[in-house]
Amino acid sequence: MSVMTKTIAEETGGQIYQPLLCKIGSKRVLTPLETLFRIELPEGRELGHRPGQFVQVSILGYGEAPISISSSPTRKGYFELGVRNAGTLTGAMHELKEGDKIGIRGPFGTFFDAEKLAGKDLVLIAGGCGLAPMRSLIQYCEDRPSEFGKLTILYGAKTPGDRLYKEDLVEWGNSNTFACNYAVDGVPDGACFDEGQVGLITVLIPPLSLDVQNTVAVIVGPPVMYKFVIAELKKKGLTEEQIVVSLERYMKCGVGKCGHCAIEHLYCCIDGPVFWLNEISGIRGAI
Amino acid sequence: MKRTLTTCPYCGTGCQFYLLADDNGRLVGVEPSSTHVVAKGQLCVKGWNAFNFPNHPDRLTVPQIRKDGKLVEASWDEALDLIASKLKETQEKHGTDSIAFFSSAKTTNEENYALMKLARAVFKTNNVDHCARLCHSSTVVGLAGTFGSGAMTNSISCVEETDCILVTGSNTTEQHPLIGTRVINAVKGGTKLIVADNRKIRLADIADMHIRWENGTDVAFLNGLMHVIIKEGLADDEFVRTRTENYDELKTVVAEFTPERAAAICKITPEEVVNAARMYATAERAMIIYSMGITQHSHGVDNVKSCANLAMLTGNVGKTGTGVNPLRGQNNVQGACDLGALPNVYTGYQKVVDEASRAKFEKAWGVENLPGNVGLTVTTAINAAFDGELKALYVLGENPMMSDPDQHHVKAGLDKLDFLVVQDIFPTPTTALADVVLPAACYAEKDGTFTSTERRCQRVRKACDPPGKARQDWDIVGDLARRMGYDGLTYNSPKEIMDEITEVTPIYGGMHYDRIDQVGLQWPCPDREHPGTPFLHKGTFKRGLGLFSPAPYKPSMELPDDEYPFVLSTGRCYFHFHTGTMTRRSRLLDREERFPYIEIHPDDAKRLGIYDRFPVMVSTRRGEVKALARVSDIVIPGHLFMTFHFEEGAANVLTNNALDPVAKIPEFKVCAAQIKGAS
Amino acid sequence: MKRATTQELKTFFESLGTDYDLRAPVKLHDGTRVLGGLDEGPLALEGGKIPQKPTSVFFPQFDEVFMVSKDGQFHAAEPVKKPIFVVGFTAQDLDCLEFIDKFFSENYRDDIYFNKRDGAVLVGVSGKCGKDGEFLKIAGGKCDIELISDGECFIVHPHTDKGKALVESLKASECGCGGVKMETLKEESDALPKDDEETIDKASELIRAGKVPDDFWNEIATRCIACTSCNLACPTCTCFEVYDREQDGKMVRQRIWDSCQLDGFMREASGHNPAGLQMQRTHRRIHHKLAADVERWGHRTCMLCGRCDDVCPTDIGIKSVCKEIVERYS
Ligand SMILES: Cc1cc2nc3c(=O)[nH]c(=O)nc-3n(C[C@H](O)[C@H](O)[C@H](O)COP(=O)(O)OP(=O)(O)OC[C@H]3O[C@@H](n4cnc5c(N)ncnc54)[C@H](O)[C@@H]3O)c2cc1C
Ligand code: SF4
Ligand code: SF4
Ligand code: SF4
Ligand code: FES
Repeated sequence: MSVMTKTIAEETGGQIYQPLLCKIGSKRVLTPLETLFRIELPEGRELGHRPGQFVQVSILGYGEAPISISSSPTRKGYFELGVRNAGTLTGAMHELKEGDKIGIRGPFGTFFDAEKLAGKDLVLIAGGCGLAPMRSLIQYCEDRPSEFGKLTILYGAKTPGDRLYKEDLVEWGNSNTFACNYAVDGVPDGACFDEGQVGLITVLIPPLSLDVQNTVAVIVGPPVMYKFVIAELKKKGLTEEQIVVSLERYMKCGVGKCGHCAIEHLYCCIDGPVFWLNEISGIRGAI
Repeated sequence: MKRTLTTCPYCGTGCQFYLLADDNGRLVGVEPSSTHVVAKGQLCVKGWNAFNFPNHPDRLTVPQIRKDGKLVEASWDEALDLIASKLKETQEKHGTDSIAFFSSAKTTNEENYALMKLARAVFKTNNVDHCARLCHSSTVVGLAGTFGSGAMTNSISCVEETDCILVTGSNTTEQHPLIGTRVINAVKGGTKLIVADNRKIRLADIADMHIRWENGTDVAFLNGLMHVIIKEGLADDEFVRTRTENYDELKTVVAEFTPERAAAICKITPEEVVNAARMYATAERAMIIYSMGITQHSHGVDNVKSCANLAMLTGNVGKTGTGVNPLRGQNNVQGACDLGALPNVYTGYQKVVDEASRAKFEKAWGVENLPGNVGLTVTTAINAAFDGELKALYVLGENPMMSDPDQHHVKAGLDKLDFLVVQDIFPTPTTALADVVLPAACYAEKDGTFTSTERRCQRVRKACDPPGKARQDWDIVGDLARRMGYDGLTYNSPKEIMDEITEVTPIYGGMHYDRIDQVGLQWPCPDREHPGTPFLHKGTFKRGLGLFSPAPYKPSMELPDDEYPFVLSTGRCYFHFHTGTMTRRSRLLDREERFPYIEIHPDDAKRLGIYDRFPVMVSTRRGEVKALARVSDIVIPGHLFMTFHFEEGAANVLTNNALDPVAKIPEFKVCAAQIKGAS
Repeated sequence: MKRATTQELKTFFESLGTDYDLRAPVKLHDGTRVLGGLDEGPLALEGGKIPQKPTSVFFPQFDEVFMVSKDGQFHAAEPVKKPIFVVGFTAQDLDCLEFIDKFFSENYRDDIYFNKRDGAVLVGVSGKCGKDGEFLKIAGGKCDIELISDGECFIVHPHTDKGKALVESLKASECGCGGVKMETLKEESDALPKDDEETIDKASELIRAGKVPDDFWNEIATRCIACTSCNLACPTCTCFEVYDREQDGKMVRQRIWDSCQLDGFMREASGHNPAGLQMQRTHRRIHHKLAADVERWGHRTCMLCGRCDDVCPTDIGIKSVCKEIVERYS
């Protein structure tokens, strides 16, 4: 079951629902819908997260929402959130300026466990917004390549315009650390895409040559993606013990109390969002 | 912690619960009353969340007056003096009937009484009406014409004592949830259920027959049933002979509605007509439950009368487990009608054209020359404003901008007024147009009574203080009357108003507060000793003999054509109430439905390239609105359904202001529309 | 042990009013029994369980999470002024409370709940004081003091040191039967039928073994109108919704009871809903308590208090659903 990492709640006297006000250090527009926020804790403190975890972001008067941490703990002095303008809170967040304060609780949830992944070949498969949490792991691998075997990134988005972290994608593509394969579902009239294939992300899997015994695949993406990607990976010979997924659920508290994120006996916020596939394979409605 | 027993402010079921207030007087919860006759310790989701809106920060807390085009804060004195002088001036310039009052089915009986008394005794006009015009005016007219009384004939508990239920035009589990559950339980217990409604409502899942007719063909269907019943000898001849009149005409009219003809009009099969007729007529006791699906048509009165005809033909009136049972939408729409917030009657349906009634009220109120002409209705008042005949309007707790058909027309009408007063609890699109806005207390902040759909008059009690300077409606009305030089509307408490009501209203004669302290009574309740009346028309109809009032089939006013190929129908969803002012400010209810949506059948959606949850543009001859598509087989192909809760996607921009010729109810259930994908 | 009349108990409770925030079963205006103050109505220890969930004393329908004043300062929810002294938990209610204590403390400790829960005194009620003379199971623990009715008076049985200390100030005569009365009452309690337990455990087994098909859940779901009463009345239901609301110029983050029977409960911002069908939600309501929680906590979390069966307007509370499961699938 879940491992509780230390949260910044200790800063608020153990009040688990009270956010800590943090500064927006900088803002970078990723797409018309998504923006990357760089957040700084007071007095230069570190968030102390692990790749794959999330925080609860508050804007007073608008509420709270879970947002994955998009940067690796190996990058010090800040953490980053890639946020899609999807509604009330995220919309209000997009209105904020550099220097404004937002409330942060966390870090919460399970993580991509570097210890368990050590020495493995990793296939990092992200779809759409799923690149946000995946980026924390990618950056981690980028900073500590020697801890892992061969590193492959697969990323799929709806259209070229929807792709997140375009500069990062280019950089990863050019680096020797990663083998990168990108896809888009379609290319609208007037746009062009020459960095990969046109088709669903699943088209990127069959051509891979894997050392099946020593590979772990990590998947983060929209709900519809998992079933198909997992099926392709299984065809390649990967077992459920070799697949890690990160799931999204409606979350209100982040600490296993409000009940919104429950998948049968598991609470996505504290037992997840990161699961080994075999932990959830028998569970209805998980995938 | 303080607990206060009160009545639910939402639907007409009339559940009672305790409101919990903390030591700061803030509402913090709801606990059902476990002894209440209807609630029995249960509530629906709206009731459970009824504590959540009164302390919303959007509440109106101070009077406002429009100055230089903007609403600015004012004192009560300033606001009320302005209203008094403006109304007086308008009447002097344009005649007594140049002003009108809209009362509200949301406020108490006492407040409805006060407002209609203000209109009649002080301003000498019968221009007073309320939103029952938009929901059940056809019921009041139709049932009064056939039975002699325009209310639900039986009690909610009768649902559990019947052998067959015909539910038509009522999404009972969503709009009257705890009545809906009685239907579900009855069916489990063996009662037959016929759902005649083209939407696949929850009750349809458990019904013995689900008849998905074309909207607006109700009369043809009901006449078809009666045709079969007469032909197959299933009528209750004894009842027809001893209790009714005008049977021959009924026979003549329904003669041509063979199952084949009725089915062709309704686009169903003749077998459905025959089987439904047999199921209903052969039941020992059968009841009809209907709601706005029957009433909101340009032939709404015909629909209601046809329901009444069917019940009389089979002897299903005047006993438990039978009857014609219109479910009243709002918590107090029954009461607002009972208390005379209607242009043609005083309290208890005493007619204004009747000289004796006028004399009685003149004496009781200490005034002279009460007007004897029937006044304007909610719908005709808007038309009169548009035509420049109505100059000033006083709206108490209504939101015509969103609730009335054809929003552009309503706005044009309201814009033409010289003076508009709106008294409400929250800002609405109607307050936005007002010259004076008065902040009112909501249900949790006042004493009084509501009368539920089963004619049960129940107590409402103050659980907390109104916010800011907001005041109770009766108190505001009394203050205004004093400024007009009339003291007869000065009361110390709603109890005093109720005492006056009992004096002048035979059907409420025994409704003293001490008698309805714990359990409300059902009218008629003429005197202190009377136990109330669970079902009407026992032994004899209110009007003597029941009058068969057959109607021919008339198509709806606006039918689909090439340009507007869909039938658009409007209504409510489970979580929101009417124009959403309260439910959209209750967190859980708001979360459930946050955006305007329109239901469309998967076949139509596919053909038009419309996807679930994607935006669409819906248009009619009157305007267009944006909503999210909800692709679902709840509706039949060719039909669309939209709710009118959302300001940002207001269904009533689209609806047709075609009125029933008698009841003046608008045709909310049928108009021709077009739909296409939007970005 | 002391044996007290209702009047003596009332006097005792009143005397505690200065040190404690007292909640006891009282009969309101229209006969509804609630956990309220003694000023709200006559003490009504008899009549069985309180219709509302008694755990609402610690986890109320509405609560403040924190408040931010105009100057931007955070203020944690105020701790209660006096510890709560609550009378009226049945044995089943105490089981429920034991579970939610565990639930709210495990992993992350819910400080808002423990604000009220810490320092509270619990008084259980059992014996011959159920509805229509029904015998209420003797808890034998899990509370500070237990009031066990012998049909005339209440035997006052302190279970904790705190309870013992408090009971000292109770003015009532000693029972003086040498424990005989308690013995017979205990026997009667032990002899209570266990049908409900057997049925629910059997149903739990069937669900966990995958013997209950989707068709069944579909059928039950057609009867659910999503009134949310079952969740709102259940002492082991803990789900809540959180939102911000401005109040008197301050921003208050608030939480209110939520219900898994609502479509919006799990709907995500994208519109995707892992529990978008009523059938899935009905399944969750029962499955959560009888299978998921067994997996997580090692036991079912329905303690058979009977409230959801009482409040469900269409008669599909957990007991009646379990009965049907056992009849049809075992
Ligand atoms: C583990 C996890 C990680 C995530 N990571 C990211 C990420 O890295 N980047 C990212 O962009 N997104 C991420 N998300 C998704 C993100 O949390 C949602 O997009 C966000 O919650 C949307 O919130 P909103 O208020 O902007 O949207 P809304 O749609 O306005 O609100 C979200 C939900 O809150 C409720 N709600 C909101 N307002 C109201 C209201 N006024 N009344 C009633 N109910 C209301 C609704 O039920 C709605 O479903 C993640 C989600 C999870 C679970
Ligand atoms: S059924 Fe009607 S009266 Fe009863 S709680 Fe629901 S909305 Fe209120
Ligand atoms: S009987 Fe119902 S209300 Fe009581 S604990 Fe079980 S599930 Fe909850
Ligand atoms: S109490 Fe019954 S009807 Fe209401 S939500 Fe629960 S199961 Fe559904
Ligand atoms: S987010 Fe509240 S329990 Fe998981």
